[in-house]
Amino acid sequence: MLTAFEDTAQRYRSRVYSFARYLLSNREEAEDVTQEVLLRLWRHQQGVDEERLGAWLLRVTRNACYDLLRKRRSDGTLAASSSLDDDEAREVASTEPDPQALAEGSDFRRRLMAALSDLGEPYKSIVILREVQGLPHREIGEALGIPEVTVRVHLHRGRRKLRERLREPMREVPQP
Amino acid sequence: MNRHQHDPSCDEALDLLEAYVDGDLSADEVARLRSHLEGCAACAAELELATRIQSELRALPELDCPPEVLEKVRRAGRGEVVPFVPRPRSMGLRIAAAAAMLTLTLGGGALFLRLQAQPDSPSPQEIAQATQEAKIALAYIGKVTRRTSTDLREDVLQKRLIEPAARGVSRSLGGTQQSEKEH
Repeated sequence: MLTAFEDTAQRYRSRVYSFARYLLSNREEAEDVTQEVLLRLWRHQQGVDEERLGAWLLRVTRNACYDLLRKRRSDGTLAASSSLDDDEAREVASTEPDPQALAEGSDFRRRLMAALSDLGEPYKSIVILREVQGLPHREIGEALGIPEVTVRVHLHRGRRKLRERLREPMREVPQP
Repeated sequence: MNRHQHDPSCDEALDLLEAYVDGDLSADEVARLRSHLEGCAACAAELELATRIQSELRALPELDCPPEVLEKVRRAGRGEVVPFVPRPRSMGLRIAAAAAMLTLTLGGGALFLRLQAQPDSPSPQEIAQATQEAKIALAYIGKVTRRTSTDLREDVLQKRLIEPAARGVSRSLGGTQQSEKEH
């Protein structure tokens, strides 16, 4: 029989890991963050309201990722981001049967992932939580400590920034 | 593209695109935007790009957390939930524990040296002997611990019960003798 912690950890571990991995674009760091977050859950599980557990976990995850990103900046290191880009591009592209569409789709996805990786906060977190992880605006607002309407505004701005970034190479293509 | 950049209605349309993709616009705003998009290929292309970005993002999978991550948490958590709290020990028990450690260290060291001295693997007789010696060492530890425990009980009995009782009797006897002297 699963304990309360096991049940919660099983339910949320992939959400936490996925959020961390898309935020950090690094597998090992995402695993470390997930471990740290679940350990905090173990320590504080009695003190966290069941209804706010999901938001609490995401907030703790985001803070842990921020700490890592700050450390990266202060160390002047840049984590390898190829693992996420390549894996995701292959995984999603494999559903497309036409080779040309597959190649184009893969290239678009690679550029999209690069643009997402460079997106500033809070846009990046909101785009990941809403579009990739499919969370409701309300839950994202709780996790980030901002009103739901602000989540919507930031989401639109974030996607617009991605659009501007992805539009640029298209302009470089000479028109016949 | 020039028309798109200088047309104020294009700027307004571009501001509305993301909300339109999310279905957040009012019916009136949707009607005005659609009207603009019908006559503006650049903004229509922007809408296509916005839609594609959203669908590509939504196609990205939720990534599975490797099972070993949770296993590490379980191990670390188990260590925390049942912390090791050393109990206060009496001097007698400390001496017994030290004696036990010394016995194990000396016995283990002797066995290690003996095995090191012999390049071949030990014979069954040697293994049996070593096992017997280890049993004797463990029995000795148990005996020392039991003896220390008995000593402690006797010590407690002596200090907490017998001595106060004796002092009390002595005091009362002394008091009686004193009163008899006074009389």
